[in-house]
Amino acid sequence: MFLALTEIRRAKFRFGGLILAVGLLVFLVLFQQGLRDGLITQFIGALRNQDSPILVYGTQARQNLEGSQVTPAQYEAVSSLAEVGRVGRVGEGTFTVSTPVSRLDEDPEERLTDAVIFGFEIDGSGAGLGAPLTVSDGRLPGAPGEAVASERNRDEGFDIGDVVRVEPDGLEILIVGLGDDLNYSVAPTLFVSWDTYVEARRIRNPDAVEVYPTVLAVEPAPQTSPETVIAAIDSITGLEALTRDEAVDASPGVSAVSQSLNTVIGLLLLTALLVIGLFVLIITVQKASALTLLRAIGARRGTLVRALLGQTLVVVSAGIVIGALLLALIAPTASTIGVRFVWSQVLGIGVVTVILSLVASWAAVRRVLRIDPIEATSTAGVLR
Amino acid sequence: MRLAWRELRRRPGRFTMATATLAVLAALLLFLAGLLDGLFLGSTGAIRAQRADVFVYSDTSRDSFLRSRITPATREMVEGVEGVESVGGLGIALVGAAVPGEEELADAAVIGYELAPRGVPAPPAPGEAWADDRLEAFGVDVGDVLELGAARIPVQVIGFVSDTNYLLQGALWVEPGTWRDVQNANRPDARVADDVVQVLVVVGDSQLNDSDLATRIDTATAELGTGTGATSSLTKSEAEFSLPGTREQNSTFNQILGVTFAVVVLIVALYFALLTLERIPLYGMLKAVGASTRQLFAGVIVQAVVVASAAFALGAGVTLLGAATAPAQLPLTVEPGRVLSTYIVLVVCAVLGSLASLRRVARIDPAQAIGGGS
Repeated sequence: MFLALTEIRRAKFRFGGLILAVGLLVFLVLFQQGLRDGLITQFIGALRNQDSPILVYGTQARQNLEGSQVTPAQYEAVSSLAEVGRVGRVGEGTFTVSTPVSRLDEDPEERLTDAVIFGFEIDGSGAGLGAPLTVSDGRLPGAPGEAVASERNRDEGFDIGDVVRVEPDGLEILIVGLGDDLNYSVAPTLFVSWDTYVEARRIRNPDAVEVYPTVLAVEPAPQTSPETVIAAIDSITGLEALTRDEAVDASPGVSAVSQSLNTVIGLLLLTALLVIGLFVLIITVQKASALTLLRAIGARRGTLVRALLGQTLVVVSAGIVIGALLLALIAPTASTIGVRFVWSQVLGIGVVTVILSLVASWAAVRRVLRIDPIEATSTAGVLR
Repeated sequence: MRLAWRELRRRPGRFTMATATLAVLAALLLFLAGLLDGLFLGSTGAIRAQRADVFVYSDTSRDSFLRSRITPATREMVEGVEGVESVGGLGIALVGAAVPGEEELADAAVIGYELAPRGVPAPPAPGEAWADDRLEAFGVDVGDVLELGAARIPVQVIGFVSDTNYLLQGALWVEPGTWRDVQNANRPDARVADDVVQVLVVVGDSQLNDSDLATRIDTATAELGTGTGATSSLTKSEAEFSLPGTREQNSTFNQILGVTFAVVVLIVALYFALLTLERIPLYGMLKAVGASTRQLFAGVIVQAVVVASAAFALGAGVTLLGAATAPAQLPLTVEPGRVLSTYIVLVVCAVLGSLASLRRVARIDPAQAIGGGS
C-alpha cells in the first residue's frame, strides 16, 4: 500500500489524468441525473403538485392529459357515486399567449409564445380541487382573470403583476402568484379559474360549441380509500381514474426522457468501467518487470493485489470528489434546467463508481496473480 | 501488414475484448439511430408524403396543426398569390379507434385532405378511409369499420398506404367532411366550421424558391389583413421540424450518438495503447531488422479497421435481429443509409483511436531489441 501511494505521488501527471477523467465522468453522470429529474419535473410538475389525489380521464385519451375529455353526463355520474366526496372540473390546454416581455421583442415571430393553462374551480362544491400546492409567492387566483404562474418562467413575463394575453383576441390574465415546479410539457404554466379557462378555449377556437373538462379532480368520501373510489369510477363507461402518482408516471414525455437520459447515464458508466479497467491494466503491464521483481524478493500475491486495488480506490475516490465539486460549482448556474446538487445522488453514484472500478480492475488483478517470480531471471518474460 | 493479418488470424482471442466492447457500442449506436429514424419517420410521415412546397398555418397557431385555423377568406388570398399553382386543405384529428374484435384502442390520426399525397389515392367517399399499414399491428384489416373517438364515428377502411403517420399515430386518410365529422363530434371545444381547415398545402411554381413563396404568401395575407387572416408559412422541412418534440428529439438523440462515437474513439485509443505497450519488444525487433514506423503503424490501423468491422457486423446482426422481433408499436426503423454511415463513422473513430499509439510506435528504438534501450 505504501508503494502504491508513493507511486501515485511520483507519477502525478499520469494518475492526475485518470483522476480528472473519472471526475469528469462522475460529473457528467450526476449532471445527466439532475437534467433527467429536472426535465421530468418540467414535464409533469403541474400534475404532481396539484392537490387532487385522484384524476379521472376519458378512456379514449389512454392516460394522456392532452387527449382527455369528460362529458357532462360522465361528470354527473361521477358526482353521484357514494364513494366520491367532492368533484371538481379541471381543464388543460396549450395556448398561444403574449407576455410583457415577449411583446417587446423586435422579431414579430418571438412576440408570441406557448403557455399551458390549467383551469380549476375556485368556488362551488369542487372549489380548490386541482389547485397548485406549491405557491411560494403571492396567492391563488381568487377571481376570473387571475393566475398562479410557474416560478421558473418569472423572467419571461410571468411575474406577479404581469398581464399575459391569450391570443389572438387578447384575453388578459393577471399573475397574482408564483408556484415552484409547476410546469407542464416544459412550457410556462398558468393555473386559472375554470371560467377563465373556458374563455381562453373559446378565444383559441371561436367555433367551439361547448368546453368539456379535460379531467375530473376527485376527493374520496370520508373513510373511503382511493382504491375503492377508483374501482367505482372505472365502472362508469368511458372513464378511467388514476391516482396522482399514476397520472404522473403515465404522462407523455416522462418515459421518453427517462429512457433517453438513462441510456446516456448507462453509457457513461460503461465508459467509466472501460476507462478505469484499461488504465489499470496498462499501468500494471508497464510495471510488470517491477512487480515480478517484487514477487522474486518475497512479496506475496495478496500484497500486490491489495496495493493495486488500494491504488484504484484512491484514484477513483479522488475522481468522485472532483465530480461532486464540479457539480456543486455548476448546479447554481444550471438551476433553470433543473440541475441540483443532491447528496443522496452523489453518494449513490459514488458507490456505483467504486464498485465499477473494482470490477474494472479484474483483468489487472488477474495479470498480477499470474506473475511468476522465476521470470525475474529472464529479460523478456514478464510480458505475456 | 502481413504480420498484422497473421496475428489477427492466429490469435483472435487477443482482440476479443475490444471486439466485444465495440460490438456492444455498435449495437447501441444502431439501436439509437434506428429509434431516432423510427420516431422521426413515424412522426412526420403525413407531412413528408405531401407534394406541397409550402405549408400555411394561421399566424397565432405557433405552427401547430391543432391550433391552426384557415378560413375560406384566407384561403382565397393564398390562392391569389403570384406563383401559387394549387392549394389544398388539410386537417388532423387525434383520436382512439375501436377496432372490431380488439379490446385495445388504436392510436389514430384522422387526416382530412384534398390534394392526394404521394402513395395515397384521391380522397375516398365520405365515411371511408385509406389506413396506414401501421394500424395493421392493432388488428386493422381492409373492410373493417373503425369507431373513432368517444363519439364512435364509423369509418370503413378501404385499403392500406405506407409511411404516412402523424406523431406516431396511425393515419386514416379521409375526405375533409369526414374529418370535420370526427373532429366536431369528439372535440366540441375544437370544432371546425364548414370550409375551415387547419392548414393549407401549397404547390408553387417550380421556378420559385420555397422560402420565397412562403414569404410571398405571408406578405400577401398580412397586407390584405383580415384580423386573424395573417398566416405563418413554412417550407416542407420547416413543417417537419415544427411538429411537437421533433427538433428536441433529433437533438437529444444526436447528442447521445455523438457521445457514443466519442466513447468508441476512447476505447480504441486505450485498447491499442495497451496492445502497443505489450508489443514494444516485438516492434523493437522488427525495427532492428528493417521495418519502418509506417509499416508497423499500417499494421495497427489494419487491425483497428478489422476489429471495428467485425464488431460492427456483430452489433448490426444483433440490432437487425432485435428489429425483426420487436413489437410493431416500437418505432424502430433500420435504414440502409444509416447502417452504412454508422459503419463508416465507426471505422473512422477506430482509426482515430488507433492514431493515439502512433507516437509510441514512432519512439520505439531498435536498440531495445538487443537490450540497448531498456
